[in-house]
Amino acid sequence: MWRIRAFEERVGELTRADEVYGLVHLSIGQEGVAAGVCGQLRADDAVYSNHRAHGHVIAKGAPIERVLAELMGRENGLCRGLGGSMHLVDAEHGFMGATGVVGGNVPLALGSALASRLLGSDAVAVVFFGDGAVQGGIFVESVNLAALWRLPAILVCENNGFAEFTPRSAHTNVERVGDVVAPWGLARETVDGNDVVAVHEAFGRFLAGARRGDGPMLLECLTHRLRGHYEGDPARYREALAAEEWQERDPILRLQRRGAVEGWFDGRVPGRLEHEARTEVEEAVRLARESPFPPPSLVSELVYAGL
Amino acid sequence: MAHELPYIAAIAEAIHEEMERDETVLYFGQNIATSENDPFLQAFGSDRVRVTPISETAEIGIAVGAAFAGYRPVVELYMAEFMLVAMDQVVNEAPRFHYMSGGQVKVPIVLKAGYGFTCGWAGQHTGSIYGMFMGVPGLKVALPATAADAKGLMTASIRDDNPVVFFHHYLLTLEHGEVPDGEYVVQLGEAAVRREGGDVTIVALGWLLGKALKAAEQLAAEGINAEVIDPRSLAPLDTATILESVAKTGRLVIVDQSTRHGSAAAVIAAEVASEGFSSLRAPIKLVCALDATIPYSEPMEAYLLPDEAKIVDAVQQVLGFAPVGV
Amino acid sequence: MPDQGLDRDRLIWIFTQMLRIREFEERVKRTFEEHPGVIRGHTHLADGAEASIVGSLAAIGPDDQVLTTYRCHGYPLALGTDPTAMMAEIYGKETGLCGGYGGSMHLTDVSRGFLGTSGIVAQGIPHATGAAYAAQIRGKGQVVLGFFGDGASKQGAFHESLNIASLWKLPVVYVMENNSYNVVTRVEQEDANAAAGQPLAIKAKAYSMPSVTVDGADPVEVYENVSEAVERARSGAGPTLVESRVYRLSAHGNIIAPPGIPLHFPEHEAITVFGNAEEFEAAKRGDPVPRFRARLVTDGTLSAEEADSIAEEVRGEMQAAVDFGLESPFPAAEDAVKFVYA
Repeated sequence: MWRIRAFEERVGELTRADEVYGLVHLSIGQEGVAAGVCGQLRADDAVYSNHRAHGHVIAKGAPIERVLAELMGRENGLCRGLGGSMHLVDAEHGFMGATGVVGGNVPLALGSALASRLLGSDAVAVVFFGDGAVQGGIFVESVNLAALWRLPAILVCENNGFAEFTPRSAHTNVERVGDVVAPWGLARETVDGNDVVAVHEAFGRFLAGARRGDGPMLLECLTHRLRGHYEGDPARYREALAAEEWQERDPILRLQRRGAVEGWFDGRVPGRLEHEARTEVEEAVRLARESPFPPPSLVSELVYAGL
Repeated sequence: MAHELPYIAAIAEAIHEEMERDETVLYFGQNIATSENDPFLQAFGSDRVRVTPISETAEIGIAVGAAFAGYRPVVELYMAEFMLVAMDQVVNEAPRFHYMSGGQVKVPIVLKAGYGFTCGWAGQHTGSIYGMFMGVPGLKVALPATAADAKGLMTASIRDDNPVVFFHHYLLTLEHGEVPDGEYVVQLGEAAVRREGGDVTIVALGWLLGKALKAAEQLAAEGINAEVIDPRSLAPLDTATILESVAKTGRLVIVDQSTRHGSAAAVIAAEVASEGFSSLRAPIKLVCALDATIPYSEPMEAYLLPDEAKIVDAVQQVLGFAPVGV
Repeated sequence: MPDQGLDRDRLIWIFTQMLRIREFEERVKRTFEEHPGVIRGHTHLADGAEASIVGSLAAIGPDDQVLTTYRCHGYPLALGTDPTAMMAEIYGKETGLCGGYGGSMHLTDVSRGFLGTSGIVAQGIPHATGAAYAAQIRGKGQVVLGFFGDGASKQGAFHESLNIASLWKLPVVYVMENNSYNVVTRVEQEDANAAAGQPLAIKAKAYSMPSVTVDGADPVEVYENVSEAVERARSGAGPTLVESRVYRLSAHGNIIAPPGIPLHFPEHEAITVFGNAEEFEAAKRGDPVPRFRARLVTDGTLSAEEADSIAEEVRGEMQAAVDFGLESPFPAAEDAVKFVYA
């Protein structure tokens, strides 16, 4: 979670300095979900994400310096600068892709799940999406098929109550995403997405079940994105969270507090982890700045496979 | 009289004025009217102005159904690519009902979508895909390049009894321009000659109009006088104005942000080659995006796209050819 | 009116409309054999669904509106559209309901609230939703009935439309005619709820929408449930999903073939694809038209002679429709470029 937090905060700065270019969506506040879920997955478990994917790709194992290089459009980026923030792919670590159009990733995950089953593997597919994606037609088409074919797919909804600039209540009169999928009989649970222990525990149960063939499932993680929809969004459509309230909800601080109470780690560990994370991110910034831009001719090379 | 407005505000002004003038005009889509201070909501109320979920098929389909029932919806779609998930409603439903019903129903809807946002929005948010819509019978396509036209074409689109896809260029969003006060209509199907000249005709679309005009200045310094035409709408397409210009200049360069095949440039080139061949003294030259998905990284993105240098180069090429088949 | 229940006149009206639809569809089907080449393309018949269609339409008033699917012949008949114009349209004639421009799949009669028919599965659902939105703004208490099949409930358009209708409390009643088949696919093969033995109406819970499953072979049961939903919509309380269990007695449509190969209706897919003749035979035994006739005669609403007399009139009416269609001229070829733009 600290690695994601340090990364996202730095990316925010780099975006304002125009070193990270274009449209960027940060996941500060939602780290608990990425960490709680991805930490339990294998490299052969396929993960799909949406436009707010930095946390997911890092938690799934992508090297931070290559993620940052991609955001800075460099040759050393995960996609050699071709994809950018919304189209990160790290196939080596099973991060099969972030997509920029809401809901478009859900059927992709079903495809991976289907392939896994056909290959006789117990690998699962996980797809991250927001509450806004749930009202899209593509979502229910996917839910029906996943249920009908009992695919080993785990749908993880980061319900932060907002779809871009609009609250959930403007999109539907069904408050809980879990209630939307209920008619199709998916195993489902709603957890506090900012309690990384709860996320880890609930997802762990689903993961074990999916590997056994009990899929599909939906894990709804109630969370909060601290920043606007995109970097630069003044977010006038919602009330800013008071600092004290954020302290209560911050997934990192909550784990810190709980860890201290439960004796999981001594008091120096959180500070050390933060320091290590920020150091790693600074090193990534240095490496990314040193990486050259890709040659323009690259644009024509990858239009078709096999040429 | 006129006032200065940014391009995006000129579009909103047109929608607002038409909603005042005609109570059957509706305005809905994602992320609009969610705050009670929203000017549209305050002026027209939540019957006529609504936010929708992320449901493009339903948004456009609802517009069609409301149009069957006598209303004139404007649907805010934000980006051209977001229409793709709902292509059935755009191509297969909205433009076909007037015809299939033998004229009984009309579908006066406007689908407002931005395009061409080539400044790091990467592969799925930057397309110039108007070519997909140009040839659909019954569907009209508006493509304003100035703030004034943004207002005038939106007004015309709302008043049109047919479905209109209104594409506004994202890179023009904050471009200021003189916008006429009050009622202002720019008819669909009327191109504008933005600069007169006798040596070559340059047809340029949307954001590239500005680049073409700059290229024309550069060429003028070299003694080449370019005529620059802004088509303003792609369906109906004002081929007559383009043909008239080519009859004068004999040479045609078309500047289009989309890739070659399936582009507006390809359609215009085919029209001129077919109807104006005897005017041409050189082959037609297309300055389009290279054939690739728009990449994220800045130097690669710039490499793909038309720019002033490429336009100047194309003009010099068409002037360097010997006349064809004299 | 719905809240007056079904008196004798109304019951006879229902019976008559069911007969008219059945006879019309039979005559369409017979045209393939008796006049090959007259009907082109793909035609879909509603024989077997008459009770559901008429029972639903008995619940609405003259200002209400209806949208449906390409299986659209039954609805305008019950709404009062002229069957001669309908047959002429199916035959592609100039005198057709849409001037020959649309054909079987796109019947439209705006004057009777039959607003326009799409040939694409589920895409009429958002259209019905939009018409209901218009009705809500207009504020005259109109209600819209949106009909579609079970296959449509897997389309994104279904999900998006029902969600919005529920959120905005639109005055629409969604009637899903579940005939258990999507062309050559059985509903259990493609629907997670059906595969689990559940009614499809359960999907409405995803939208906080009330729903009900009814026997679509019983026009009175359909009428009672759709009426309740119509009242609810009219009162401003929002939409309802009515799942109406029906069985179509014809195949999905006529065979698909290029020009030169005579078109015809094959046997029902239950037999040709699933080898389940028994299912089809059972459906024929439960045919809603003779079933309703028997009920009315048994309970004394109608005598057998009166029923026969109505049937005779209906046969005459539809014969006239066929004759009119056959005799009517084709549109002028150059009319093909009219109506591109309004």
